[in-house]
Amino acid sequence: MTESDILFKSENLWVKYPNGEVALHDVDFEIEGPSFIAVIGPNGSGKSTLVKTALGLLKPYRGHISLFGFDSMKETGEIRRRVRYVPQRDRIDLNIPMKVIDIVLMGRLLKKSPPRIASSKDKRLSMEALEKVNMDELWKRPFPELSGGQRQRVLVARALASEGQLLLLDEPLAGTDVESQNMIVEALRRYHEENDVSVIMVTHDLNPVHTLVQDVLLLQNTVIGVGTPCSIMDPELLQKVYGPDARVVEYAGHRYCVTRDSGIDRHA
Amino acid sequence: MLEIIEIILTTPFLQRALIGAVLVALVASSSGTFLVFRGLSFMTAGVAHAALGGAALGLFLQESGLIPWFDPILGALLFAVFVALVTGYAGESGIAQKMEVAVGVSFALSMSIAVFLMYYIPPTQVPQIWGYLIGDILLLDNFDVVMLALTALTLVIITAVFNKEFVYVSVDMEGSLAHGMNARAYHYLMLITSALAIALATKAVGAILVYAILVAPAAASNEVLSSVRGVVLGVFVVALLSELAGIASSFAFRASPSAIAGILAAMSYVVAMQIKRHRERIRVSRQTEMKHSRIDRPFPEDKVVATAGSPGDDE
Repeated sequence: MTESDILFKSENLWVKYPNGEVALHDVDFEIEGPSFIAVIGPNGSGKSTLVKTALGLLKPYRGHISLFGFDSMKETGEIRRRVRYVPQRDRIDLNIPMKVIDIVLMGRLLKKSPPRIASSKDKRLSMEALEKVNMDELWKRPFPELSGGQRQRVLVARALASEGQLLLLDEPLAGTDVESQNMIVEALRRYHEENDVSVIMVTHDLNPVHTLVQDVLLLQNTVIGVGTPCSIMDPELLQKVYGPDARVVEYAGHRYCVTRDSGIDRHA
Repeated sequence: MLEIIEIILTTPFLQRALIGAVLVALVASSSGTFLVFRGLSFMTAGVAHAALGGAALGLFLQESGLIPWFDPILGALLFAVFVALVTGYAGESGIAQKMEVAVGVSFALSMSIAVFLMYYIPPTQVPQIWGYLIGDILLLDNFDVVMLALTALTLVIITAVFNKEFVYVSVDMEGSLAHGMNARAYHYLMLITSALAIALATKAVGAILVYAILVAPAAASNEVLSSVRGVVLGVFVVALLSELAGIASSFAFRASPSAIAGILAAMSYVVAMQIKRHRERIRVSRQTEMKHSRIDRPFPEDKVVATAGSPGDDE
């Protein structure tokens, strides 16, 4: 088994939505690992589609995409063994009376084989993960009763408790309160620094994670730009994607982008 | 008390009814619970009626001499699996609403097939098809009890082994897949075993009892209990009590035990909704109290709220 230095790679990738509309076309890029990657772009630009395709949840229409050098279609198992995924918050069904700790344990038990019994180690790591996002006191609470921001923190904890070299998060900051946002960013920063783990984060807003991101992938149905955050924060590049309203602001040596775009992609 | 035990010991049909009640309660807690979790409460009615189409097909194949060995129950099970597969296919992405639509469509298709085939079956045989829906817990024979017991046992074992998987698939299909679990297989396993159990239970105790007992207690327990295990247990208790009350009252006055059990099970849901609403009200009033006390506090002075930005930008 060879694991190349290339973490995330796409060759001539095309993906279509079920209705036939082209979500992504001619996607080519190569990003070396370990890294903290942000996938950014306006609503409907295909960010979530890109990561779901990389996980083998969606099928490429043309071309290939790979993580750790494993092809998304041919070596899905190898990818999924290494990945911990945080889906968009609204993909979690709230009809089931799961406790906070049950949700976090999922991250560990999904990587086991049936009957998936939680060991004391699983429980300890789950509680530690909850501590990292300051949700440990609410471990017994029913997950559906939490606020949106709290639920998001629990989902991040689920990924932190799990195992695998890659954390993949789909819009973990969308629609969360400032407190939760700061806590999630801080937890990810510390986790990325202390562990040999790469992060790929889909986000419509780069600013909260600006200082910890190493590579940015700017999408609008194809790759508009790949590079460091400050090189992507180029007024011309951003106005091409976000329209004439987009501004770039410099503050404390970093460039930040101001757009009118917000919210979660509702495609696929 | 002794008298009741004596009556039970000397009345075989009552013994069968009581065993049947326990078995149906087991089916409810190991299948109904997970269907309600999955947002598929309508599937019970859908599968039971689809089975009707299958029974008609079986009878038609037998009567017309095309496939003489084709028992109507085989047809019923075949159509139940058909509904499960269509529903499962629609729900592969994990969206419950799509599955309910698929149940509706496949159920209508099966019923249409049933009615279509009834024109080609001797009129004297037609009641046998409808008879599929109107079994009665007081009319169980030994074969019914054995069949129901095997169904319940199989279902309980499968659910005991794979309950975590069934829950995970319901909570987060995408996440389960992405973490490497074979979520699609469990998704289909859950739907197919449930469909087969519904079809077999319907054959034994009749449609009304199955609809009522598989859905209402699960819906009720899910409103008020806060753990998966609690709900599974709650369903068993509510289902069994409703059924026993139904059987008991059918001795006290002229009443169908299934109907009484169904009414009681439905009532349990209404009561659960009220309890939940009451709890919510308490929770909300407590939260608003907390919020108001926070507003009363002075704003911390060291926090810079805003700095000058370019006008016209709202972020």
